[in-house]
Amino acid sequence: MQTLDTRPRVTAALMRKRALLTRALPKSAALGVAALTLMLALPAPAMAHHAFGAEFDPNRPLILRGPVTKVEWVNPHAWIHIEHTNEDGTTEAWMVEGGTPNTLLRAGLTRDSLKPGTFIVVDGYQSKDRSNRANGRDVTLEDGRKVFMGSSGTGAPSDGRDPRERTN
Amino acid sequence: MPKPLISLFSPLAAVGPTAVLILLAALSVPPVMADPSAPRTAWGHPDISGMYNVATLTPLQRPAEFGDTLFLTPEQAEVIQARERAALAAGAQPSDPNRAAPPAGGDGSGGAAGNVGGYNTFWIDRGDGAVLIDGKFRTSIVTDPANGRLPAMTPAGLQAAMARRSAFRENTGEAWWLGMDGPGPYDDPELRPLAERCLLGFGSTSGPPMLPVLYNNLKRIVQTPDHVVIVIEMNHDARVVRLHGEHAPADMRFLMGDSIGWWDGDTLVVDTTNFTRESGLFGATENLHVMERFRRLDPQTLLYSFTVNDPTVWTTPWSGEYAWPATDEQMFEYACHEGNYALGNILRGARLLEADAGQAPAKGER
Repeated sequence: MQTLDTRPRVTAALMRKRALLTRALPKSAALGVAALTLMLALPAPAMAHHAFGAEFDPNRPLILRGPVTKVEWVNPHAWIHIEHTNEDGTTEAWMVEGGTPNTLLRAGLTRDSLKPGTFIVVDGYQSKDRSNRANGRDVTLEDGRKVFMGSSGTGAPSDGRDPRERTN
Repeated sequence: MPKPLISLFSPLAAVGPTAVLILLAALSVPPVMADPSAPRTAWGHPDISGMYNVATLTPLQRPAEFGDTLFLTPEQAEVIQARERAALAAGAQPSDPNRAAPPAGGDGSGGAAGNVGGYNTFWIDRGDGAVLIDGKFRTSIVTDPANGRLPAMTPAGLQAAMARRSAFRENTGEAWWLGMDGPGPYDDPELRPLAERCLLGFGSTSGPPMLPVLYNNLKRIVQTPDHVVIVIEMNHDARVVRLHGEHAPADMRFLMGDSIGWWDGDTLVVDTTNFTRESGLFGATENLHVMERFRRLDPQTLLYSFTVNDPTVWTTPWSGEYAWPATDEQMFEYACHEGNYALGNILRGARLLEADAGQAPAKGER
């Protein structure tokens, strides 16, 4: 059995990002965020087009902040492009993996619902291939509201499919 | 080793169901009917056509707490629905805009989310109601065995399941497969799961049997005198059922099997065999045989029931059923290959992790 290098492989840029955010966040708030994130993680897909665990590296957590540059409204997964600004002011282009667009399309949402220039915040993990791609574990607007939430229909519980809500 | 034969369905999918139906509508078969008041097609067959959204919170297998009880009380159903609605509402809540990156080493999420999580809940649409049949809520889709659980596996089935499990380990971000005997799970794109390769939707959404999944649960049934076509939203596959046909020769194999059907009174019966070595259904083999029945319960609902038999994998056949509520929602194309960046990311990532471990194989070595 080959002995593996178990040291976390976190790039300097990501460490800088993390350090910046950790400094900015009081410890109690960080705990609160962790609890909230855990709660939000619960309904995460048990099964999907592919195992996210196969694609993304748990040792490369990241948070991205910046304007949307493009939305690829494609199956099997939509990709949101974002221009992230590093601590030193340089920018990096990143792609964030979301779910299938069909579900949102039925709710009346399209790629135009998230316009280029919209500032978003994304936390997730970098792709194992170390390209600038990450899973969109939590994709929000600048103020923390969920991207694609707040529009009508998305995830609404009473959408008429509950048999008891039917009139006929 | 023989490659899966999927080409039979592909030309039909490529030209679209409409063209296929125009082609097939020229043919006709004498109708068989039972209840004269049930809706009929122009040529006298029971009319089960339409768009259905089969999303449901009812699990395939019954949670142990319900034992042999097939039905939920209305109160139990309400608790489950309230819990799901609360989870959806929680998922819609704003996050801390100043949040930090998730924890290094992973967020502890299990299953396919494998320690890195998935994506926001607004992408997910697995329904918010339990299966309701004849006014009663179900505890599981599986009805036989009586405990609502899949039957025991055969020794061969167990062995195959364990081999599959060995290809899925906790995601540590390391090339753990390097010490394995034989090929590793990332050594060849054809060793990756069918869904990841965009050959079938995940979770037996295309079946047969067709089961509810996390999202994209629309099914569209189109009828002609001689064929019934079932269009499955994910991955935009069309199951073409030949009425009163005969199965293809045994050496012709298909990912969704070869389906023939007939009308038993007002019920459409579909018999499917000729599967490939690997199907969309949890380890089922080329010996899989699925019988499905489609019956209209009321103008808004079909009852979909099925029996699965694969003596290679399970010690007894097993059966299930659930309601297919009609919907006025629109089905969109699911062009899976179009944006399937994930497969490349996965394979490239595996090569980099191997290089990190100092075990990068030479090109073409494995």
